[in-house]
Parts: sequence; structure tokens; C-alpha cells
Amino acid sequence: MSEQHSPRRPYLAPLTASWWLKHRYYRFYMLREATVLPLLFFCGCLIAGFYSLQQGEQSWLNWLSFMAQPWVMALNALTFAASLFHAKTFFELFPRVMPLLPAPLMIAGQWLGTIAVAALLLLLLGGVL
Amino acid sequence: MEKTVEKTLVIQRYNPEQDQRPSQQRYQVPFDNSTSVLDALLYIQQSLDPSLAFRWSCRMAICGSCSVMVNGIPKLGCKTFLREYSGDLLLEPLAHFATEKDLVSDMTLFLQHLQAVKPYLIRQEQSAATTPATKPQPHKQTPKQLAKYRKFSSCINCGLCYAACPQFGLNPEFLGPAALTLAQRYNLDNRDQGKAERMPQLNGKNGVWGCTFVGFCSDVCPKHLDPAAAVNQGKVASATDFVIGLFKP
Amino acid sequence: MNQPKRSDEPIWWALFSAGGVCFAVVIPGLLLTIALLYPLGVLPENALNYQQVQQWLLQDWWGLAGLALAGAAICLPLFHAMHRIHHGLHDLKLSSGLLGKILCYSSASLFSALALYFWWQGLG
Repeated sequence: MSEQHSPRRPYLAPLTASWWLKHRYYRFYMLREATVLPLLFFCGCLIAGFYSLQQGEQSWLNWLSFMAQPWVMALNALTFAASLFHAKTFFELFPRVMPLLPAPLMIAGQWLGTIAVAALLLLLLGGVL
Repeated sequence: MEKTVEKTLVIQRYNPEQDQRPSQQRYQVPFDNSTSVLDALLYIQQSLDPSLAFRWSCRMAICGSCSVMVNGIPKLGCKTFLREYSGDLLLEPLAHFATEKDLVSDMTLFLQHLQAVKPYLIRQEQSAATTPATKPQPHKQTPKQLAKYRKFSSCINCGLCYAACPQFGLNPEFLGPAALTLAQRYNLDNRDQGKAERMPQLNGKNGVWGCTFVGFCSDVCPKHLDPAAAVNQGKVASATDFVIGLFKP
Repeated sequence: MNQPKRSDEPIWWALFSAGGVCFAVVIPGLLLTIALLYPLGVLPENALNYQQVQQWLLQDWWGLAGLALAGAAICLPLFHAMHRIHHGLHDLKLSSGLLGKILCYSSASLFSALALYFWWQGLG
């Protein structure tokens, strides 16, 4: 083949594992993906909650005091921020994946859902319902 | 006369016959409000250094040839202006593709991926040759049917979305934004009957499922056709195809 | 032309998407109430008392509220999270193989099963 004598010698720069640090857009993507890390912590808390609930009242009280520990609350505050950031990105992606209605309408509808769940829980736990 | 203002262009050079790896070279280029990156490259080639290699053709953002990385972001040289940058400009060949020489990339993979999704109208009907009695009819399309795929139809094959896509960088087998967008464009076209031929490509791990919705492809697309949305609509189509496949022998 | 093998990704993507909706719609309200406002003392002291929560999650409606909570706040979000971690490992060039995928989705399955088991035990 003539390829043997070809002066072609294409150079491919290797993609390093730190590619995502090089651009603002990629860092934003990685931050979005990283929202699941604090989520895993909260899921762990909830699994422990279900465990203690079936173990008895003392176990449940222990879980409640665990949830009130400053470091747990700090991590859950971080998870709360992560969940809102995730919600913003997720709600904006949804109308692009399934363009059923005008995008602003779909985004507003989804936020309404989040607010409704929070309001319902507040009313329920606040003793109003 | 306006005073001549100059700008520094740092350009990645690579000569496959001499260099082991690319290096950088600086050029001083006079510019005004209307000087595009492509104009600057042409100035360098004509007045400073005739050995500089780059691709270009139409100068009006329709041929998709003059794609380069400007300060790390994929751009069309003809649609990007020196006035937009306060400091020096760093020009490199498209990321994620091999470099042939200077700013010229090897686009073979890109063309292979485009070809894989059969980006043209496919009709199952008998051709006029086999049934000479019936004259071929024009394929009608209503404005509503046109609107379904129109936003995905203005691709100029510039490859900027591939240079923006880390998944293509990590896995060159990934069909990538432009090819998957074109597949979606033809799948949404009511005149087309080739969806069944395209779906196997989309259903694979290097098809739509290679995408993680980074979304940078849509940001850099010079024709604003939102390839990320097209690819992810392809995921819905592929997931539907998956469920249908479960019920078929 | 050779046809690529059909990916099983639609299954994981469907779970990821459902979990993503839960993470965005259900989790913020839950975090706000039981993980932040209640420990801060903003909500009434007896809002999360043992008998009350038992009744809500494990007794009323055959414990269906507890099942819904476990599904929407634990199982689906776990699959959402492990899907992103699986792809994130690929992004960071740490793993792209079958092993990472098996580890990610089997741990999501295991902890989901654990949550459902505790709910089931609680019904008892």
C-alpha cells in the first residue's frame, strides 16, 4: 500500500482525566453530576430512619437526635442546596428531551410540583392538616 | 486613516514531516472591527508565513470548513471576530480529532459517523425503474410536518459539536452530536421510511446512549440547532424501540 | 454493515429519569422539613413523634405511604445517583468497564431492597 510512504502522521493530543477542569461549562456539568453525592448521604439517613422506625420508639428517638446533630444538619443543608441546583438543571433539560408544551410552561409546572410537595409536608408536619 | 491596531495570535503549529509534537508560534496581526479569525489567518498566510495550513472556503458560515479552537472553545473562524477578545488569541485545531498539519484536522471519524446513520431520505416504495407504468409522485409535506424536524436540519457539518463533546473525546466510537442529530432529523421527516434502518445504530452503546447531556454541543453550534436536545429525543425514541423490542420475537 | 449490539441502557436511563424527578420534586421538601426545619425547632415538637409517624407510614392505608416514601425518596434516587456515578467514573477515566457498572447498579439494588425490607418489617 502507498500508506507506507505517506507523509501523513496525524497527531492526537491525549485527553487527560482532568479535561473537565479546563472549561467553565465542563465544571458546571461535573457539579451537576456531583449533586448525587450529598443525595446518597440523605438516602442513607432515610434508610436508617426506616430501620429505626421498625426497631421501636427509643431507636426512633435516637434517629431524630442523629438528624439534629450539627454535622448531619450541615450535610443535609448542602444536600438541600444540591437538590435545588439539580431541580433547576433537570427541569430545564426536560422540555428539550420531551417538547410537549412551551418550555417556560413546563419548567414552571415542575417548580410548582416541588413547591406543592414542600407545602404539603409543611402543612402536614406543622399540624395544620 | 485609523491608526493600525495589532493583536497577537498564538497558533499551534505541527508539521508531520518534521515535528514530534505540536508547538506554538506567535504572530502580530493588524485588525479592525470587521477582522475575523479567518481574515487574520489569511493575512498571516499571505503576508507573514506562507507555510501556515488551515481549511476555509465560503467565509459566510455555511461551508463549515474553518473550524478552529479559539482560546479552547470550538468556533468557526469566519464567524468569530478579533474584536471579541481583549487579550491574545490562542488558535488550535479542533479538539478530540487528530491533527494533520497546523490547524487542519483529520475529519475521517466524523464523516464515518455521519455515514453510519444514513442521513438521507430512504423510501421503501418500488422505484420508477421497476414500475415504469406509474410515474413517481412528489412526496408531499405540510408546514406542520416540516416544523417537526426543521430545527435539526440546518447542520453544516462543521464538527464544532464533536470538539465540544467530552464523550466523543473519551470514546471516539461514540457516533456524536451531529450524526445523532441528523438521524433524528430524518426519523422525524414524514417523507422518510428509514427509521428501522437507523435505530440499530442509535440503540447501541455508541449511539444515543453514549451521551450524558453535557450540553456544550448546543452552546457551540453555529447554527443553533440544539444537537443535545436531538440526541436526547433520540434516547426517548431508542427507549421506546427497546420496549417494543421486548414484545417482538 | 455490522449492527451494534442493543444497549441495556434504556432500563437504567428510565430509572435514572424517574429518580431525577423524585430528587427534584420530592427530596427538597423532605430535606427542608425533616432534616432542617424540624431539627431547628421551627416545626412543632410532636410533628415527628413515634406513634404518629408509625401510623402515617406503616399503618394507614396498609402502609402504602411508607412504600411510596421508600420508593420516591430512597430507591429511585439511589438508582439516579448510581447511574450518574457510573457515568462519572467513565468521565474521570476511572472505569468504563462492566465491573463498575455491576458495582453501581447492584449497590443501588441492594440498598433499595434494604429500605423495602425495613418497611416490610415495620408493617409486621
